[in-house]
Amino acid sequence: MTRAIDLDTVAPDDLIEVKSNQNPPPTPSIEEMRGKEEKVVDDKVVEDLNDKIYGILGHTKHPFSSLLVNPHVFDFEERATEEKIILVARPHWFTNVSWVLTTILLVLVPSLLKFVPIISDIPAKFQMMGILTWYLVTFAFAFEQFLSWYFDVYIITDERIIDINFNNLLDKKFSEAKIGMIQDITSRVSGVSQTLFNYGTVLIQTAAEVSEIHFEMVPNPEKIIKVLQVLREEESNNAR
Amino acid sequence: MLGDLNNYLALAEKVFGVLGAIIYLIFSLVVVKQVGTMTKNVKDKFNGILIVFSYLHLMAAILLVFLALTIL
Repeated sequence: MTRAIDLDTVAPDDLIEVKSNQNPPPTPSIEEMRGKEEKVVDDKVVEDLNDKIYGILGHTKHPFSSLLVNPHVFDFEERATEEKIILVARPHWFTNVSWVLTTILLVLVPSLLKFVPIISDIPAKFQMMGILTWYLVTFAFAFEQFLSWYFDVYIITDERIIDINFNNLLDKKFSEAKIGMIQDITSRVSGVSQTLFNYGTVLIQTAAEVSEIHFEMVPNPEKIIKVLQVLREEESNNAR
Repeated sequence: MLGDLNNYLALAEKVFGVLGAIIYLIFSLVVVKQVGTMTKNVKDKFNGILIVFSYLHLMAAILLVFLALTIL
């Protein structure tokens, strides 16, 4: 026997919804309200933490600063979605002086060679090629040095400490340790320039797979240690 | 005899020049790749400028190869 009428139209399975034009606003569930409260508390904790960090390090003065406190633009590939960057440290600007001076000298060399009598005997086309190659190599040298400094970053987030280091053209090193894993922090300032400009190395011993993380040639090592202490206190308070 | 020697020397100069320029071109390509990797890993304000510089360097290296082929 064939079905003449679709049974669903005679006895529908679904309940008939009565639509009214005035829908009451959806009442938030208990979980949602708890989530909001927790978020407010988290924001307050982060704000307090930021105040403490600013109190120790002050605000970042310019984008090339070796210490970027609570940076808004800076980011890194391995960052978790909820992870918040608290401090980014690069080696102190003074560590760039040697390569900057070398670059200036290299730039001046072709003009100094004019005073060497043998050079004038070389055909003009070779001179031109030589000078062009010289300036290109000089640029490459300076550019590589700058890249080494700019991308040699030490990051402190609210969860971990990270060392990203590009040693040469094709070598990337990434080390990390959770804040709670930090066991011991020491700093070392040695030599005339480090003492004069107050920069040095912060050695962080951890219980993580990487037993030691070095923040090398960073400015104000004692302040970085204070920041890490604040974060460790915060971490231990959260653990309770 | 002396003319042949001069020709061989000129050819050797050209070959060395072009080879050197090609090696430099490969190096500049590595620099572009390196800057790309670095900027992908660490994002900061000046990444765009650094990428532009790496490409300018590559263009200069291409010019060097071209000049080595034509001038030398």
